[in-house]
Amino acid sequence: MAISDKDFEQLRDFIYNLCGMYFHTTKKYFLESRLTRRMEATGAKTCQDYYLLLKSPRGSEELKYLMDEITTNETYFFRNVPQLTALETKLLPEIVETKNKMGFRKLRIWSAASSSGEEAYTMAMILLEKRATLLKDWIIEIVGTDINETVIAQAKEGVYNAYSVRNIPDLYKRKYIREDNGKFILSPEVKKFVTFNKLNLYEDSKMIFMKSFDFIFCANVLIYFDTASKSKVVQHFYNNLQPYGYFFVGQSESLHGVNDKFKTVHFTGGFGYKK
Amino acid sequence: MMERAEILVGAVDDLPTIPVVATQVIQMLDDHNVSVEEIADLMLTDQVMTARVMKLINSPIYRPANEITSLKRALVYLGLRHIRELALTTSVISAFDADSGAIELNSFWEHSFGVGMVSKIIAKKVGYEDLEKAYIAGIIHDLGEVFLSNYMREPFQEVLDRIKNHPIRLVDAEAELLGTTHCEIGLCIARKWNFPDVYCEVISFHHNPAEAQIDPVLCAIVNLSDLFCTVRELNYSGRQWISFNLGEEDAWNILKNESPALAKLDVERFCYELDDAIPDVKDLVSSIFNASEQVKS
Repeated sequence: MAISDKDFEQLRDFIYNLCGMYFHTTKKYFLESRLTRRMEATGAKTCQDYYLLLKSPRGSEELKYLMDEITTNETYFFRNVPQLTALETKLLPEIVETKNKMGFRKLRIWSAASSSGEEAYTMAMILLEKRATLLKDWIIEIVGTDINETVIAQAKEGVYNAYSVRNIPDLYKRKYIREDNGKFILSPEVKKFVTFNKLNLYEDSKMIFMKSFDFIFCANVLIYFDTASKSKVVQHFYNNLQPYGYFFVGQSESLHGVNDKFKTVHFTGGFGYKK
Repeated sequence: MMERAEILVGAVDDLPTIPVVATQVIQMLDDHNVSVEEIADLMLTDQVMTARVMKLINSPIYRPANEITSLKRALVYLGLRHIRELALTTSVISAFDADSGAIELNSFWEHSFGVGMVSKIIAKKVGYEDLEKAYIAGIIHDLGEVFLSNYMREPFQEVLDRIKNHPIRLVDAEAELLGTTHCEIGLCIARKWNFPDVYCEVISFHHNPAEAQIDPVLCAIVNLSDLFCTVRELNYSGRQWISFNLGEEDAWNILKNESPALAKLDVERFCYELDDAIPDVKDLVSSIFNASEQVKS
């Protein structure tokens, strides 16, 4: 079903204001197809009917279904290239310099919704590549957390399908991935830098123990939280960062109106938040 | 370093001139009794310029309710005060339309028109009084780059190679390797072409708006717009890698002083909307450069 530009904009604004996720115009066809499924499921005849349903008291429940449809849960290695480039080009050297001055040679990174581990392991590969140079004699700790134990088990196993590994640059693929019967197996050399634990981001008593990170990544999770919970969780992330640390969200997400302490740092192809 | 820029620009014998008609239009506009008819008659003698004016007027930037197909109507729609600016822009485009330099001309104009468009949006947000001026200032801010690209091709290529994949600003690499910058070179050319002072200032100070004297707000608008376009894919096909902390930018602080409400701007959404507008900018640029259709008087 095709939706008019006006309906698209209305829905986009609604989703953005509620979830902090922006639908680019290029994603219109995608939203259309997902919306059609939800409209069939709810019996809404027009886009306007569906919009009114979202705004009604029943709306918050329906919104969860819609979000499930529009945020495909798939993740893969080297997903957010502009973010990784910024980290390699500028942010990592900057933090290494700061810590070198303090004589503190340890780097801590947190993938706060690690799913099956692709984001955490991507970081491990990038940092491993710098072991001989920038990070010589540094201790590297990468922590992945997720609420779902099944995906944690997958992450610990470190075996992936072709889709997951398709974006890994050849340099890394050759060194750290071994193919076996259509399965892609991660080298133990990469795995040893990462630990995975179960964690519920809502759980304050556990969140306060996640300390002293230099970089925190939390992609495509905050969009599921209401504004109050989002503010609380983001405040935890803020507190859990080193004074010079960075926080990153997913590619079309926004923290506008959620936290006014972070400073926005723009870089080619994206932005991050600096403490 | 300004001396070096003057020497370099002075050494080029075949520096493009802006079309005679544009100069005449600009002079004619100084006469307060001039009529739209007279200007239109003069402009129509230059078909390329006329076609480009028509493309610009019907572009998303000006957004007339219905397509304007006659030059006279276009000029009435714009009002006399903006014709000068349009003549200036179209002539800058004409002066530099040979694609033989170190940077690809199309991506140069995409960046320039992108900065023009975003400058106009920021100008509106901060209540700047002349939106078209902001638009034009955005379009012409990087004039000096085309000179460096066309007339100092090899040394400029070295500059581009130096910054590729490194967090070094183009303007800093230029100063180091060429002994001058596109800001200074642009200023020399703009002076040669008798551009109004306010545009000369934007060309000269779009990387350090705090030093501007005549219109620091305009320089800050263009500076900020340039930064946003450079991080959002209107970046000369990935020529330079930059990063900036918005709160630390002079331009941001100048504009927040001008309009405190700006502090509440949803910067993230602003970036995402800018992404959405990029295809419009690319279409506009390709239509301007294929502006060969005949137009009615």
